[in-house]
Amino acid sequence: MTQPASRSVGHYQYEERDRAFLQERINEFEGQVRRRLSGELSEEEFKPLRLMNGVYLQLHAYMLRVAIPYGVLDSRQLHKLADVAAKYDRNYGHFTTRQNIQFNWIALKDVPTILRELAEVDMHAIQTSGNCIRNVTSDEFAGAAKDELMDPRIHAEIVRQWSTLHPEFTFLPRKFKIAISGSPEDRVAARFHDIGLLARPSENGPLFRLFVGGGLGRTPVVGQELFDSVKEEDLIATLEAVLRVYNAFGRRDNLYKARIKILVQTIGLEAFRKAVEEELARMDRAAYRLTPEHVAQIRARFALPDLKAPADASDVLEQHKKADPAFARWVASNTHPHQDEGHICAVISLKTPGDIPGDVTSEQMHGLADLAERHSFGEVRVTHLQNLVFGHVRKDQLHELWQGLKALGLAAPNVGLISDIVSCPGLDYCNLANARSLPLAQKLGARFGDAALQAEIGALSIHMSGCINACGHHHVGNIGLLGVDKRGAETYQILLGGDAGENAAIGGILGPSFAEDEAVDAVARIVEFYLGQRQKGETFSAMLKRCGLKAFKEVAYETV
Amino acid sequence: MKLFDLSGRKTLEAASPVPFAEWKDSQQGTAISLPQDVEVEELRPYLSSLTLIVLEFPVFRDGRAFTQARSLREYEGYKGEIRASGHLLPDQAIHLRRCGFDSVALSEDANVKDWEEQLGRYQFYYQNTAVSPV
Amino acid sequence: MKRLSRPGEGEILLLTASRLLDGRIVWLGEGEHWRESIAEATRFTYEDAGAALERALAEAEQKEVVAVYEVVAKDTQPPEPVTTREAIRAHGPSVHPDFSYDHAPVREKESAL
Ligand code: HEM
Ligand code: SF4
Repeated sequence: MTQPASRSVGHYQYEERDRAFLQERINEFEGQVRRRLSGELSEEEFKPLRLMNGVYLQLHAYMLRVAIPYGVLDSRQLHKLADVAAKYDRNYGHFTTRQNIQFNWIALKDVPTILRELAEVDMHAIQTSGNCIRNVTSDEFAGAAKDELMDPRIHAEIVRQWSTLHPEFTFLPRKFKIAISGSPEDRVAARFHDIGLLARPSENGPLFRLFVGGGLGRTPVVGQELFDSVKEEDLIATLEAVLRVYNAFGRRDNLYKARIKILVQTIGLEAFRKAVEEELARMDRAAYRLTPEHVAQIRARFALPDLKAPADASDVLEQHKKADPAFARWVASNTHPHQDEGHICAVISLKTPGDIPGDVTSEQMHGLADLAERHSFGEVRVTHLQNLVFGHVRKDQLHELWQGLKALGLAAPNVGLISDIVSCPGLDYCNLANARSLPLAQKLGARFGDAALQAEIGALSIHMSGCINACGHHHVGNIGLLGVDKRGAETYQILLGGDAGENAAIGGILGPSFAEDEAVDAVARIVEFYLGQRQKGETFSAMLKRCGLKAFKEVAYETV
Repeated sequence: MKLFDLSGRKTLEAASPVPFAEWKDSQQGTAISLPQDVEVEELRPYLSSLTLIVLEFPVFRDGRAFTQARSLREYEGYKGEIRASGHLLPDQAIHLRRCGFDSVALSEDANVKDWEEQLGRYQFYYQNTAVSPV
Repeated sequence: MKRLSRPGEGEILLLTASRLLDGRIVWLGEGEHWRESIAEATRFTYEDAGAALERALAEAEQKEVVAVYEVVAKDTQPPEPVTTREAIRAHGPSVHPDFSYDHAPVREKESAL
């Protein structure tokens, strides 16, 4: 079936009832703001209500976190985000690791109006914060990547809808994050979510491997496999059962022990599984069955790209690469193979060395939306590493896209390389921070900004958080940096050996923390040591295993 | 205290609830109140003699009673009245109703209009609950 | 109530909050009005600050501010908070000199210390 050309691809197309629902949600929030201003709601009562709609009180202003469900935006939505940034913020937005965009300078009184503007393009801030089921994240190459087993977005949308204003699970002990991937590569860090789902097809329909109890934060835990093969029809029932056990037994007396990971750790995986199975046994399964009809209905609201490329698209790309080494370098790091021979996925780095990771100006957003319209069926995805992806670019047009990106200042050839730094906002914006993270990320980016040097170093990730809440995922960076407060001074701990993917691992702490500039130097020495000592093709993690943390420690503290 | 009707049950139980722990000994009356940390399975032998179960919210953020109510309806098949009591916000009206609550005990000065408005807000919901299928 | 921070030698206390309507950082100034600039903040000694804070908290709803607390600052002209966090609140994010509240970016100030 062909779709009308105007339908943007990649995400669920709203119908009237979805739009009416959003309007009601905004009316509800508007009423809550009104009741807060009239004094009917205390700040203590209002806070959880505003959080459930993505509104935080930050260091300088309110922050509004807008959901980008499973990371897919269309060009119309990106234009709108650009408008919001220009009109209500300071002309920029910040893309996060959980496929959201944050505006840092919002006034509370403007929020209902902003939400109405966003609703015009079917966007919202529902459940982007608070102790509820959060925005569902997915694989940035979904429906495009060559290595994909199945497109996870249909089920991500089903989970999104199921979790929206869920009557039983809106006042949980703590937040609850679900991610879903359809790739054997696990590009969503499934093992670091409260629930991580890895989908795969089978003769009898999709199956889901379900991990539970993963997470970073104060107590980093690698999620454990609860079920190996959940059937599609049981997906919702199983999620219900896990959430019920959590809602009933998760701790509520201590904020830091309230995540599901602590419950699973405390009672043990076996006991937890038994509790979930008991729920499933008692449940009216018919009421929670995910029927093939329902799945088909949701699937029908996803438009697919009409992939047509000339037969010589790959050859043209090769010629462009030969003619332009800078372009070739960008292609080497910033693309990913597509299912279709004539297409390719392009990753747009939001980590121009020296700039703030994840920040995009309003002008850049408009420019990107136009490029997406021209080169990727109007579709833009947000990655969990704070970059953007154009999912379906014709190979023969990639060079043209790259030139467009260069004009926007968004053509840094560093995806997956050392200057592709993930960083949280840190003390410059965040109320909870111990130390700034952005200046350090900028310095590290600048230190390793040289394209040839980065290419030589190869794949290496740096992740940076301004406090133990780990929003920058410092535990899973090959090199992790954590801001700690040392008697009032900002200092930084270094962790080595983290990994977010199939070989999930939590980095080990190297030793005492460094001052900002010392930390930059220590990282530089660590990288130099790696370059000097690595064997052919050896990754950073592999060498760390071979040489041990101690060897790296000696290097890092050499001159300090 | 004034009672707010969530489910349209109309005749709300007037009996004063007795804490479950006390009631178990005497089994006097048909109305009990239940703290959030008791599993509703414990009520199973007594459910047929109960007409009102009051579930307590020490603070509105503590959502355990939502699961208690749903378990009472779905697993235990309890048909009597379920009432919410304690620190609650009108913003929770729909959640309460959809999890199987019939009524909420409000303080005398509570703004009933907010509760009514909230109850009528959404035209449809995204998920089934055994109490209110979509 | 939580104990007040104690200012050291040459330091004073200021009261700060966030404005309910727009989240803007404010400082308690003359006439117990909330001001946008730290330069207009009233200086309190440890002895005076407790009562002032209590009053400010009691009037927070009415004056439409939230998160009221005290900040230790050097008794300079204008007063300069001693922690980086409060310096960033007073002057703006260090990574965006163009967003500075007083066109004196924090990072330069710091290195001058
Ligand atoms: C600036 C405002 C922010 C605040 C106040 C904030 C607050 C928090 C807190 C308190 C936690 C820990 C919760 C827990 O473990 O129970 C957390 C976790 C997290 N935050 Fe943020 N955050 C902010 C910004 C961000 C940004 C910008 C990102 C993305 C770059 C982000 C991504 C995450 C992620 C992925 C986690 C989960 C770690 C885990 O799995 O436990 N946050 N955040
Ligand atoms: S890691 Fe800490 S400092 Fe960074 S955004 Fe999260 S809460 Fe704030």
